[in-house]
Amino acid sequence: MESWRDNRFVFWLLSLPGTFWISLFFIVPLSVLWIYSFGEKTGITDVAITWTGQNYGRVIEPVYLQIMWKSLWVSAVSTLICLLLAYPIAFAICFAPDRWKPILLLITILPFWINLLIRTYALLAVFRTNGYVNKAIGWLWNGIDWLFGGQHPFQPLELLYNNGSVIAGLVYVYLPFMVLPLYATVERLDKSYLEASLDLGASQLRTLLSVTVPLTMPGIVSGVILVFIPSLGAFLTPALLGGANAIMIGNVIETQFKSANDWPFGAALSFVLIYATFGILALRWAITARSKGVEF
Amino acid sequence: MSTYRPKFRPSRRALLQGTGAFAVGLTFLPRFSLAEEEKKLNFYNWDTYIGERTLEDFQKATGIETKLDLYADNAELFAKLKSGNPGYDVIVPSDSWIERLVGANMLMPLDQAKIPNMANIDPRFADAVFDKGRKYTIPYMWGTLGIGYNKKVTNGVPDSWKVCYDSDQYKGRVSLLGDARTVIGLALKYLGKSLNSTDPKDLKQAEDLIIANKKNLKVFAPDNGQDLLASGEVDIAQEWNGDILQVMGENADLDYVVPTEGTQVWQDTMAIAAGAPHPDNAHKFLNFILDAQAGADIAKFINYATANLAARKLLDDSYNKNTSIFPPEEILVKSEAQIYLGEDGQKLFEDSWTRIQAA
Amino acid sequence: MAAVLWNRTPQGPLEYSRRLWLKLLLFATFFFLYSPIAVLIAFSFNTSKRNITWQGFTLNNYVVAWNNPDLLDAFTNSLIIAFCSTLVSTLIGGMVGLQLWRFRFPGKTAYEAFMALPIVIPEISMGVALMAFFIRIGWLTSDVGWPLNLGPIIVAHIAFSFPFVSIVVRSRMVGFNVQLEEASRDLGANQWQTFRYVLVPFMKPGLVAGALLAFTLSLDDFVITYFTSGPGSVTFPVKVYSLVRRGVTPDINAASTVLIAITVIATVLAMKLQAPTKAAKG
Repeated sequence: MESWRDNRFVFWLLSLPGTFWISLFFIVPLSVLWIYSFGEKTGITDVAITWTGQNYGRVIEPVYLQIMWKSLWVSAVSTLICLLLAYPIAFAICFAPDRWKPILLLITILPFWINLLIRTYALLAVFRTNGYVNKAIGWLWNGIDWLFGGQHPFQPLELLYNNGSVIAGLVYVYLPFMVLPLYATVERLDKSYLEASLDLGASQLRTLLSVTVPLTMPGIVSGVILVFIPSLGAFLTPALLGGANAIMIGNVIETQFKSANDWPFGAALSFVLIYATFGILALRWAITARSKGVEF
Repeated sequence: MSTYRPKFRPSRRALLQGTGAFAVGLTFLPRFSLAEEEKKLNFYNWDTYIGERTLEDFQKATGIETKLDLYADNAELFAKLKSGNPGYDVIVPSDSWIERLVGANMLMPLDQAKIPNMANIDPRFADAVFDKGRKYTIPYMWGTLGIGYNKKVTNGVPDSWKVCYDSDQYKGRVSLLGDARTVIGLALKYLGKSLNSTDPKDLKQAEDLIIANKKNLKVFAPDNGQDLLASGEVDIAQEWNGDILQVMGENADLDYVVPTEGTQVWQDTMAIAAGAPHPDNAHKFLNFILDAQAGADIAKFINYATANLAARKLLDDSYNKNTSIFPPEEILVKSEAQIYLGEDGQKLFEDSWTRIQAA
Repeated sequence: MAAVLWNRTPQGPLEYSRRLWLKLLLFATFFFLYSPIAVLIAFSFNTSKRNITWQGFTLNNYVVAWNNPDLLDAFTNSLIIAFCSTLVSTLIGGMVGLQLWRFRFPGKTAYEAFMALPIVIPEISMGVALMAFFIRIGWLTSDVGWPLNLGPIIVAHIAFSFPFVSIVVRSRMVGFNVQLEEASRDLGANQWQTFRYVLVPFMKPGLVAGALLAFTLSLDDFVITYFTSGPGSVTFPVKVYSLVRRGVTPDINAASTVLIAITVIATVLAMKLQAPTKAAKG
């Protein structure tokens, strides 16, 4: 890594378009919303900017804390499952012959080009009580049961409308956000390191944990960020796949901007998510700075 | 089939204008400078909520080309218009949202002299609690909320909101809607209160009732209860009549009933958005919608109860005598329209709804 | 080359793709990904108006979809937006990724955090904020006609897509061996040549992955698109969501199936065209 002073021209060339775009089309509009988060609703459309803290005060009411806690653990579990599924996929793609790589990448990404809503409806059709998964299991079960005298007819499994189905749905939405960054880092993994490790007598597991994972850490970190953070704000998946207590923080925020018509509170909730993320990034920075190891 | 394309193709003028707008960037373009209205109309509606050929017929009758844009619900429409109208002329808001829209100066008062076909409106809808004297809206479609059920599974007709709010008879086989005002409002109805009550005691009672009954519910379905019913996922679905009617057409085991406690009667209206670029054309459009033939074509296609009496006279009994479209009079008497409760009233419902879902 | 997949030589320690448990895991994952897609395609041939029960086979939904000008327009709009947004966000995102990988500069952590903001912010907040902004500067209210009225949507899509690209590109670049660059300079290449012939080839998988992400994000976005669209710019997701109240009809499934088919055919063709040059090089 070099100092920006050593190559000012390239530094500015690389940074200007992105900085311009993010400032004009993101920071400027968002700063209005940020100011809103310190405002009070005075009419149907009027907001008085009083620099009050009451919107943030509302955020720590038990009901919202409870919803946030639930969003956190649901997103964390989804992210973990994404990682466990995506790691082998990324390896399979990268270790496949060159000719097959684009096809495998495409096969992985193709389902995600179908509209989310249509895809979720299709997911409902597969996993509902009379869905195809239950039909298949029931057919198998009843077959085996018949062999043993037919004492226990099949009871369809309740696969939908619980926290499990929300997690499955989030994995279904965000899997490519894990696969693609992993692919980009695993692809440049030098296989000779792995061979060396195995030759020197390390087991496969040991090699995975002490060679492969550290070398692909940048991809893992990117993937975790790209899955965990957006799934915190998801609202469609919990609404369609969750049961009677499926609400997540994304649903609360959505309601504030729509039917509840309380933009200051919605803005405060959104910015709490941002502050939390800044905290996580700062933590990561602190850890990197201390270990002075691989820089992400 | 249809070759009608309600979209402007880029002309050279538009292209030049566009380049200018993008080059200048942070400027306001003057827009309502045309002396005479161009023959265009921007119509903002739900999808498939207009006759198959209505927009074409309107163009034939008046020469006005209509561009159709789509939204999914009232809350979304409201949020979209909040920062200013990006150029929509005619919108289709529902009952309780109208006073909110008026209060926020988002609707343009109608010039009733320009809508002679208002005479075709069913006298029942000539006036409305949410729009006294029809100053801002014309009625479009209306209907009820009720219970869709599977005749094969239920014991008789589940004609009480009890099955939704206070019973384990269909444990785990019940879906409610996913909207604060409707779910809590109908619980109030079951408790014998008005669905527009803002008495905190009533609301607390309704909230406790729903929370206690959550163990018997499968899901709060955001507008897909009819699918759950049709696929056998639930046996009881609280839904809009039109949605259940659609699945009834494909599955003879399904039926629809309006509970005896009374229900919410909904009404969708058409209105002109404030700041509409083509107000004259918009009035012509509203007048066209209230025309007998045009109204009949729409009603036949989308199969909802029309508020256009002249149109009903052109339609046969299979439509006019259908009790799932037109509910019996004795139930209508006990039912109410949902009205706007002021921002504080709405907040009571929304906060209670968050607590119900999180409980 | 394909023989590698099926050969019967003893399994090497690094040939993970030939291990049974990994194969099973991959199979299960792809089954999970594709079973809903299979159902969706099957229902595109259903005579029922609703995607719930199978009633009978028909091709009529495809005819209906083809003859629905609104649906075709929505599709065209979505593809135009996704194409433009992917192109620009890959470019900008790639540059930012390079910058963050390459340079040390004061306030870098804060800069990074700002670049990550669009990933963090809930879509609806970004949607309403951008809507208010575009209305304010007169972009949504100026009647510029098609396709320029898609401009605000594209601008918004770029704003939320390119940070994703930059994160992917940057994590790719971390493994770059700087000595390669020095070697290139020592051999007399100038900065541009080094960039073009050493850095870019190394970046490529990161750029491809980033571009795929950007395309996916843009094609499927509903919330931000909805709020940043003016009259006459319905996209496919907006069309689908507005159908929810009346139920999603099978012609939407038909349109989605066609999209899958087009993608697959285009990729196969592209690979066929690319294959000979590769063989020549090898």
